[in-house]
Amino acid sequence: MDVINHKVFNILGMPIRDTVIHTWIMILLILTVTLLLRKKMPHMLETTLEAIYGIIGGVLNTDNLIPYIPVLGTLFLFVLIANTMSIIPGLISPTADVNTTFALAMIIFFSVHFYGIRQKGLWGYLKSFSDPVWLFPLELLGHFSRTLSLTLRLFGNIMSGDLIVAIVFSLIPIIVPIPMMAISLVSGVLQAFIMTTLASLYISSAIEMSEVPQKKKKSKSSYA
Amino acid sequence: MANLDPGQLATIITIIVSGFVISIGTITPTIMEGKAAIKALEGMARQPESAGPLRMGMIIAMALCETTNIYVLLVVLILIFANPLMTTFFGG
Repeated sequence: MDVINHKVFNILGMPIRDTVIHTWIMILLILTVTLLLRKKMPHMLETTLEAIYGIIGGVLNTDNLIPYIPVLGTLFLFVLIANTMSIIPGLISPTADVNTTFALAMIIFFSVHFYGIRQKGLWGYLKSFSDPVWLFPLELLGHFSRTLSLTLRLFGNIMSGDLIVAIVFSLIPIIVPIPMMAISLVSGVLQAFIMTTLASLYISSAIEMSEVPQKKKKSKSSYA
Repeated sequence: MANLDPGQLATIITIIVSGFVISIGTITPTIMEGKAAIKALEGMARQPESAGPLRMGMIIAMALCETTNIYVLLVVLILIFANPLMTTFFGG
């Protein structure tokens, strides 16, 4: 869907798109704001962290949430700011490009397996894939299709919001696009929330220990 | 109709199909999202103390339903802007 030319310049023969430039701008923005906030008002940072803790803690039911905060909190902040960045004139959302969302989905994919293997060990994690053996292909398919759906959901939502604003803006440029922009802002915040919630759900399903049914089976056989 | 060359005919067919697909393809997921919202709101009205988990579940379920809408939108956008058949058979 290359309606306009996205390529800006080359580094070592590798084309760099404008999305990458805007991602760098966004990273600089986040770093500056965080450093300023840490000096001027540390309470804001604490409030933000509490909110992220609340979102993740509502889904992920483990005793210790601290190992999961860096990945999921960074994901939430990144997606939130990337989705709402196109409200500033001249900037575009990095998540309106399918490459960015695919990279985010791949990060979630690998971190799910990392946390699962760290919690259960390699053999235990592989065994949890084929709990009944005939479900193994479905489980494998599910892991790939959930990555694809994470990619396309975020990309489609943000890109369709931007597209609708652009179409309405080209028809009537005054006042009328404002409700559309409000809708795209709300949808961006909601998508960040959903992305974080789904990532925590997947991690939660990877790290859950399914020892209860095994114990039941053992007790049954011992009774018999 | 007989005077049209194949490229124009393909463009007309693409536009008609896109309109048809986006109207049909967005109706069903939207109805289902409405059903999810109805059930969740009924549950919230009956038990206001369980509104928090219900709202969270409703939002997740609605986002999962919404994915089908997005797939339809992507298919239509590919049909309009990057139609593989057009570029293969009619040279763009």
